[in-house]
Amino acid sequence: MSEQKVGRRRRSSSLLYQEPPETIEHMSDQAALPNLNADWVNAKGESLRIENKIGFNSSFGGAWTIHLVLIAALKILFDIIPGVSQETSWTLTNISYMFGSFLMFHWVRGVPFEFNAGAYDNLNMWEQIDNGAQYTPAKKFLLSVPIVLFLLSTHYTHYDLTYFTINFLAVLGVVIPKLPYSHRTRVGLFSGAPEDR
Amino acid sequence: MEFQDAQQFVVRSINEITNRFQKVPGSAMLIRYIQSSYQDDPVRSAIELILVIFFIRYLLAPSYATHKGNFVKLTEEEIDDLVDEWTPEPLVAPQSAFEEAENEKLPVIVGPTGSRVKLSNGRTVTNLASYNFYNFVGNEQVKEKAIQTLRTYGVGPCGPPQFYGTQDVHMKTEADIASCLGTEGCIVYAQAFSTISSVIPAFCKRGDIIVADRAVNYAIRKGLEICRSTIRYYEHNDMEDLERVLQKVIKEQSKKPLTRRFIVTEGLFEAVGDCVDLPKLVELKLRYKFRLMLDETWSFGVMGRTGRGLTEAQNVDASQVDMLVGSLAGPLCAGGGFCAGSTDVVEHQRISAASYTFSAALPAMLATTASETLNMLQTNPDILVQCRENIKAMRAQLDPRSDWVHCTSSPENPVMLLALKPDIVNSRRLSIGEQEKVMQECVDEALINGVLITRLKSMPVANGANGKDEGWKLQPALKVCITTGLSKKEIEKAGVTIRHAITKVLTRKASSKLALPAAS
Repeated sequence: MSEQKVGRRRRSSSLLYQEPPETIEHMSDQAALPNLNADWVNAKGESLRIENKIGFNSSFGGAWTIHLVLIAALKILFDIIPGVSQETSWTLTNISYMFGSFLMFHWVRGVPFEFNAGAYDNLNMWEQIDNGAQYTPAKKFLLSVPIVLFLLSTHYTHYDLTYFTINFLAVLGVVIPKLPYSHRTRVGLFSGAPEDR
Repeated sequence: MEFQDAQQFVVRSINEITNRFQKVPGSAMLIRYIQSSYQDDPVRSAIELILVIFFIRYLLAPSYATHKGNFVKLTEEEIDDLVDEWTPEPLVAPQSAFEEAENEKLPVIVGPTGSRVKLSNGRTVTNLASYNFYNFVGNEQVKEKAIQTLRTYGVGPCGPPQFYGTQDVHMKTEADIASCLGTEGCIVYAQAFSTISSVIPAFCKRGDIIVADRAVNYAIRKGLEICRSTIRYYEHNDMEDLERVLQKVIKEQSKKPLTRRFIVTEGLFEAVGDCVDLPKLVELKLRYKFRLMLDETWSFGVMGRTGRGLTEAQNVDASQVDMLVGSLAGPLCAGGGFCAGSTDVVEHQRISAASYTFSAALPAMLATTASETLNMLQTNPDILVQCRENIKAMRAQLDPRSDWVHCTSSPENPVMLLALKPDIVNSRRLSIGEQEKVMQECVDEALINGVLITRLKSMPVANGANGKDEGWKLQPALKVCITTGLSKKEIEKAGVTIRHAITKVLTRKASSKLALPAAS
């Protein structure tokens, strides 16, 4: 008990810190039910596959197509607004996708519809995907989407310095939190001091 | 010549490759892309190149799990060895000498229970060990009604309430309780014990905060244990300490996202018998914006002019208590429990309270019995007056008169808990175990003299309840349950018997204790 307590305490007062490991109680709650919030990214077509182990079945399913569909829809939306140039339209598409995916994967923590007794309240969706495993097919796909979108948008903005800077910062914003290094890392400035339990 | 040949070959092969490359779809685009990037700015191209290289590296990296399994890897032989070595622990731990002695002398009632019961050894004794406060057990009207329901509805509903288990009588009982308390709604559970332990987890989740009294009963502890919330305890019935804890919680949580916050306490405490100061509690919960869960298991049907519980006794509107939990099993002589509150509170439980969703509904005859007895208390409050007279008569024989014990229960509580006086515990240095032994001897002695009483049985400490409540220990006590099935004279007589039994045991104890080295 006391050992656990020490383990969960914040080690230093630096700006970055690691989310402390879960207690046994916490882990058993996480394992009790499939995490529907994160598992859908591996969804294949109609049938929702529930994967708890690292035995993934790489699949190009509905959960992946939706990213491309959304990007296309965003592009069309910005194109039909009068007075928006191609450069602005691509940049807007890029930053809105980056902003949306940052919010969804890295900012919001927990599960929107409660079913695991709050077992995932401390983890964002990226950390919940595939039970925290790295370099899985879903994660590779989700990383490739913003990078390809960035390359496309810099190309179509004709390497204008302003547009390039905006787009590049946006892509950094979503790529850095996706790195294995950033797994369970918190920035003290944004999320406050960790709870001492 | 050879050199020219080689040159020609190189030129030809380059042309060949270019031609083939141009035939690949998208190659023109790629060339244009690279050209335009390079022409514009080599730095930006370099950044892109780095990004692409990183991207390819990421795609090629093998996947790995970050969750290290918290187990030791064993070889097959080691596993076999461990399996061979393993001997199962007994399902039930062997009895201690104390338990063995107690179980040997356990009185067994033959025939129906009531205020006077026949034991298996043939003796008839006065029963002050059942929660039969108003002698509804012996009431012909209640019995008749139950038999009638049994013939119409059968024994059990054979299904959870949401799955063909709800019958009209359940809805009537719910409506009866709600109208009696004056709340918007009420939900009836099939077991009294599991009511509070599933109401708490129905509302509280991980990250929520519960402030609870240290002396709450075992059912509440079980609820606190499984709800995963952060638990803070305050000193038993100390409203100032409660306020201090609430302030501390408010201060700690001020910069964190808002969570649900609850105060959990009992109306009449099962383990101590005293009652809570409800107006003060409501004032505090409103001031600090907490919700109040009040367990009225022992006070509903007991306190107040017509037995509506603590809210009636202390003139508090029942709608001020967010979740009012009570029992139909004790004073009402039926079975099951209920939770009364606003419509939202009640309807939320119908799908999220574990014991409502997953266990069979209350048998119809218990539901009608509860309605019946509740109605009798409402229409005929004299029963309560009579019971209180009996409590007073018993108290007069015990509390001020006995040199050894004092009654920790509130004056209107028909469950009288008699604990050893603190100075006696101190001067004789009695441990909890020794006190329990003394109490058991008192119970045995009273039974020899024809009065059946019991003692407060301590429950195992709930594990996982954050371990922050270690300061509180239940003090062993005698439990005397008053009933209106006995006249005042009989109660007084029983009181004298109990007092003499206690005196006899403790004076006997005193002599044996004196044999010890001069402790005091």
